Amino acid sequence: MSFPRTKPDVLQNSWPYMADRHMMRLGAATFIALVGVGSLMTLSARTGLVQILVLATLITLAQLIAVPAPSGDRVFLGVGMAAATPLLLGSGIGMPDLYGTSAVTAFGLAGAWIVSVARTGERRRARTRFVSEAIAMVLFVVAFFGIEYLLLGSGALLDVVILGSVAGGAMAWYLGRATANALIGLEEHQLDVRYVWLLALEDWPVALSLFASGALLGLAWPQMGGWSIAAALLPYAFTHLAFMRYDLTRTTYRQMIRALARIPEVADLTPDGHAVRTAKLATSVGRELGLNPEEVEELEYAALMHDIGRVTLNEPAIIRAGYTSDDIARWGAQIISEAPYLERAADMVRQQYAPYRQPGVEKDESLPIPSKIIKITSEYDRGVHDRGLPPIEALEQLHRGSAYEYDPSIIASLRRVLVHHGVVAA
Amino acid sequence: MKVLNGQVISKRRVAIQFAVVAGVSISALILTQSFPKPFWLWASFAGAMILFEWRATEANDRLIWSPSIMIAFTAAVVFGRGAAVLGVVAMELLSPLTPADIKARRFFQPFANACQLALSATVGLSLFELFLPNGPVTPDDLWLIVLGTVPSVAAFYLVNLTLVQYAVRMVYGKTDIKPWSNLGQFFLSYLGMGVLGSLLGAAYLAIGAASLPLIFVVFFVGHLMLSSYSALREAQESTLRGFIKALEAKDLYTRGHTERVAHFSTVIGEELGFNGTQLERLRWAALIHDVGKLAVPRELITKRAKLDAKEYEQMQRHVHLVEDLLAEVEFLAPMVEIASNHHVHYDGNGYHGSNHNHGDTPELEACILAVADSFDAMTSTRSYRVALTQEYALSELRRNAGSQFDPIAVEALASALLRLGETYGSTDVVSEDEARRLAEQLAVHG
Repeated sequence: MSFPRTKPDVLQNSWPYMADRHMMRLGAATFIALVGVGSLMTLSARTGLVQILVLATLITLAQLIAVPAPSGDRVFLGVGMAAATPLLLGSGIGMPDLYGTSAVTAFGLAGAWIVSVARTGERRRARTRFVSEAIAMVLFVVAFFGIEYLLLGSGALLDVVILGSVAGGAMAWYLGRATANALIGLEEHQLDVRYVWLLALEDWPVALSLFASGALLGLAWPQMGGWSIAAALLPYAFTHLAFMRYDLTRTTYRQMIRALARIPEVADLTPDGHAVRTAKLATSVGRELGLNPEEVEELEYAALMHDIGRVTLNEPAIIRAGYTSDDIARWGAQIISEAPYLERAADMVRQQYAPYRQPGVEKDESLPIPSKIIKITSEYDRGVHDRGLPPIEALEQLHRGSAYEYDPSIIASLRRVLVHHGVVAA
Repeated sequence: MKVLNGQVISKRRVAIQFAVVAGVSISALILTQSFPKPFWLWASFAGAMILFEWRATEANDRLIWSPSIMIAFTAAVVFGRGAAVLGVVAMELLSPLTPADIKARRFFQPFANACQLALSATVGLSLFELFLPNGPVTPDDLWLIVLGTVPSVAAFYLVNLTLVQYAVRMVYGKTDIKPWSNLGQFFLSYLGMGVLGSLLGAAYLAIGAASLPLIFVVFFVGHLMLSSYSALREAQESTLRGFIKALEAKDLYTRGHTERVAHFSTVIGEELGFNGTQLERLRWAALIHDVGKLAVPRELITKRAKLDAKEYEQMQRHVHLVEDLLAEVEFLAPMVEIASNHHVHYDGNGYHGSNHNHGDTPELEACILAVADSFDAMTSTRSYRVALTQEYALSELRRNAGSQFDPIAVEALASALLRLGETYGSTDVVSEDEARRLAEQLAVHG
């Protein structure tokens, strides 16, 4: 894991997600399918109805608890309980109850849907999540049993069968969740699929600890009874706490960068709010272009602090001596590079005024895309908020400079983002 | 707790003493105990312990994670009576030597640590063995095992602490290490880790080898998240530090001021027995105490003449704006409050921040910051006067103790500087008038 990774606020914004109606319909259809499958499975299950309902309730309850994951999203604990279920239902003796496990998972998820509708009312993110969690959990059950039957057939050791099935199921859940998030959570062009997929893949530590604790619980229960809860859940609880601390620190780190980035604004050296607006626009463009989550985050820091070099303009001697935009970029990069872990952001800031072309060269390939994004979004924001141009006019100004200064492919991306936000007409 | 690297005074003596005691106790163990079987089981626990020690994170006073204690107790339960102590001691002996030590040819420290850990484990786990059943562990034995971890962890921890203190005192001649401030908290988290460890050991006995990867995954993720967390916290502090350093660097006269004030505040806090969290708060407050000035036009800050009322107001407005900005960063809010009160006098007079009533005594942290700030102001050269001597600065602080400054903080600074043997300021400028005259001469000639 690399750091400092702070919460990408894409998941806090609701705009990238499908319209309410779609998600409501999709969620309701999933719910009906789950109840149907669950009832059918209960009929053929070896496990009794009471036990199925108890375990399903446990999944529903666990699904109410979430841990903040490295991607900035949350992972619900239901999957840990789902991992324990097949082991509780007889996998320890090598004959797992497929129908019982499927019924428990289906009812557990159906319960989670009812709770999420009751709790969140009209919030659409809960629906999106419900559908992708349901798909991922079903994939877990399918993969678990597929691998279990394969391994049992090959006569492997029982320990290998159990661990192999849990690991295979976990892998299916992990990839399935990332893919479902990337495909369902999006409207067409606003976020690159690659970006969301890579983002969801960052949650592997949470997945690891949830599946390991769930499997430990499922395996230890028959011998240890209540003690197994302590043995499996206490270590998990500690890890949960560590996740929360980590998440909190990431939030405050980001807040701190934001606060420091506003120093030139407070000193009346840049227009108020310019840093935050530029950062918001720049990260939207970065995501639209499909940069890596890591790059988008560095872009956000760089965009927030792209004018920090202007604090130097407090120095009367410097103003007398004269300066250029490149000087400001260089001073800013110097200040930022004092902070460890922000070297790449410093590089982005250093090159923020460089034109995208060089004489005789079609396109300067060595220039990082994030620098070009900052150049364009900052200029756009200055056009709109400093010079008071209408958005479409500010965009036109950029187009006029696209022969040398501004990269047309990034202006096109900015236009798509602005169209999506409804700022300029399509 | 570990023996730290530093200067040598009597390494050899300590090494011999430790080696003799550890050697005797290990010989006794070899005679009385059998080595755990099968070997691969011991090796996997030993491997896990070594790996976690190599990637050890610095103990953080908010959340303490000691996987080695946990692994020790898991292994002890798994190895069972008759093999637990020897097995764990053998693991502890291997754990302290890291690749970094080998590369730097640092052998004393790992050696001393191996000896003291072996001794602590011998004492702690011999006690623990009394609570282990003779035959296989059943769920009914678990109460006794969990109960047994309490005295065992306590014994382990006490021996460990005593030996480390002894070694540090003998080798580095330091008598002032205060590991006792977070004692309770450390003990509680070690205890928690010990209990978890023995429960996981019982889970292994119940489930068999399949549980081993699961247990290590839980260990590993917890460790990973905690080290990411503490690395991020460090990144956060060094980011702020770096920024302030870079911003300050523009002004010749205040260059390094923040770093020095943070240093003085920390030593005063240490002298007054602050614990980790309090020190951290104080250090952060010191780091941000002048951030507001970064947003003030330079000509106002470096102005030689006294500011007129309008200029003063302009300066305060900028300072306030930055403080409001930083107070929005949740965890900085209490530090911003301390920082904004560092101009309040001990008797309640003076300039204060928005959330302080005139006439109230400011909190101790703000008083410390005020002393540290004034001390650095007097012992460093400013645009209007050159640096004064440390004696002058301290006597000036003492003269105003009780009115402007908190007498406790002033005396703490004086004794801390004496203890550390640090001297600041000029060697010969002993009066304010002389200092101002010299600065004017410099301005004319330079």
